[in-house]
Amino acid sequence: MTDRTIKGILWAVILAILVAYPGLFGLYFTNIFVVFAIYALYAVTFNILLGYTGLLSFGHAMFFGTGGYATAIALERIEGLPLLPAILIGLSAAIVLALILCPLLVRVSGVAFAMLTLAFGQLMHVLAMKLRWLTGGEDGVGGFPIPAIHIPGIGSFDIANPVNFYYFAIAVLGVSIWMIWFITKTPFGSIQTGIRDNAMRIDYLGFKVRHTKAIVFIISSGFAGISGSIYALFQNLISADDAYHVGNSFAPIIMTLVGGMGSFFGPIAGSGILSLIDELTSRYTERVDLVTGLILILMIMFAPMGFAGFLRLIKAKWFSRPSDKMATEGTS
Amino acid sequence: MDSTTALYVAQGIHGLAYGMVLFLVASGLTLIFGMMGILNIAHASFFMLGAYFCFQVLSTTGNFWVSLLVAPIAAGFLGVLCERFLLRKVHAYGHVGELLLTVGVAMVILESVKIFWGTQSLPITVPPVLQGLLKIGGLEYPIYRLFIIGLAFVILGIMALILYKTRLGMIVRGAVSDADMVNALGINVPVVFMIVFGFGTWLAGVAGVAVSPIMTVHPGLADQVGMDAFVVVVTAGFGSLKGAFIVSIIFGLLNAYGVQFVSQLAPVLMFSFMAIVLAFKPMGFFGEIE
Repeated sequence: MTDRTIKGILWAVILAILVAYPGLFGLYFTNIFVVFAIYALYAVTFNILLGYTGLLSFGHAMFFGTGGYATAIALERIEGLPLLPAILIGLSAAIVLALILCPLLVRVSGVAFAMLTLAFGQLMHVLAMKLRWLTGGEDGVGGFPIPAIHIPGIGSFDIANPVNFYYFAIAVLGVSIWMIWFITKTPFGSIQTGIRDNAMRIDYLGFKVRHTKAIVFIISSGFAGISGSIYALFQNLISADDAYHVGNSFAPIIMTLVGGMGSFFGPIAGSGILSLIDELTSRYTERVDLVTGLILILMIMFAPMGFAGFLRLIKAKWFSRPSDKMATEGTS
Repeated sequence: MDSTTALYVAQGIHGLAYGMVLFLVASGLTLIFGMMGILNIAHASFFMLGAYFCFQVLSTTGNFWVSLLVAPIAAGFLGVLCERFLLRKVHAYGHVGELLLTVGVAMVILESVKIFWGTQSLPITVPPVLQGLLKIGGLEYPIYRLFIIGLAFVILGIMALILYKTRLGMIVRGAVSDADMVNALGINVPVVFMIVFGFGTWLAGVAGVAVSPIMTVHPGLADQVGMDAFVVVVTAGFGSLKGAFIVSIIFGLLNAYGVQFVSQLAPVLMFSFMAIVLAFKPMGFFGEIE
């Protein structure tokens, strides 16, 4: 069998599991899976900043939150708004926020970028608390109507039903992740990794570093907005302490780190691992963050390349020919 | 003196006191950043630990002065341990690793505090000497806030003496501008790093003890003051002690008068100030050109 057919079979199996999942595992685990998928997309959008472009953002929650708030407020205020336009409103709100911020943010990099994003993230948190007429203050926006989705020729689905919502969320999130994956494979994706490795050389080659950073930032923010709006739809509630809180900005960082920074699928694995830890530890203790923090410290100290790096190490050790081994050792 | 002036002066004292506390926290942050290139996210957690240690010492000994002495040293000692056994190990993986490590430390400290002391607010009483108001020229000043301002100025003076008059200070200033060069000259830079980190967390601990009677001691303390201190450091320019002092005072006053005049917008004022400064000077007020 060639690599291609193996990959095809693998994807078919994954797809089959995804379709059969609600039937196999029941409602409780279906909801856990939806949260995992939302955070997987969120972490992937974060990783195209950190892992692919070398920009460490400490305020990614502002796009997640903005997407969520925009969708929630739109559904609350506009009567009879269909579902997909509502998500598009979330996407565009996040993009508009990114457009406003990027002239300031693309000028800096490294720790200054991290601090600026942190500060703007906090600013959004404060604004969401203070602009009561729009955001409802501490209570957030909740109980908005969730419209059914109409597919011409097939019929309409009521996505208030958890199983229908699962299929809807998986479809939107899956397509988003696939689109991001596609972008990283284009020449534009290569410029991104070039900026991460040596921004000056990319500049000398005639590419516009700041423009590229801005475009990456906007793409990342837009998709983070989508994950936020799916989150708002899932909870039927979005609140400042939930979405804009600084802990929500650190979540994708930890996921990316646990999963593996350089790899595209690392953050997805990290999101999965953390939902598992969350699910298991919350049965015994309320202090889930203590466990997460300890894991973060241990990961940085002993496995800086994360879960993906660990897999790569095992693969290099046991599953490759000696010549490949030499090659991987040479590059790493 | 009429009541309006009295109000202005009182708000000014409030703002100055908060500004000095901010400076105590921000100076440690900016020193650590200038030397080691680490932005210590856990810095505000050490500040909070100072406040909690103060509560603990106060409830066992009942003496505020003892806690003012002991609590910051305990916080500083934890800081030294954190540098020696955690941060130094990940130094080789670059600044992002160190930054994220401090995030982990901050999470662990926050959750440990919740486990040991619970999530409720803890009361701390000021010793009788520092209670009440001081009357000068027909105006009343709260003594405790004057005490904070005085304490901060004393520490500022000692810090300036050490930094500019001693050999250690010379080494620290040298290491701020080029740590590799100082290391090459035969000075044990990792030990200097450890001392500076310990000193920075000690400063945060002092600030924690100082604010504990005027702000209630609760787990949200680190977020509240830590964010302000970060904004100070970013606005002032990373690694600039002078800048941190000036911007801290500006922010303290901005905060106090902001609450008085535009209470709705007060939290946004600082961020707007920062955004305006950074729009014209991306490296901050006193930051060096990249």
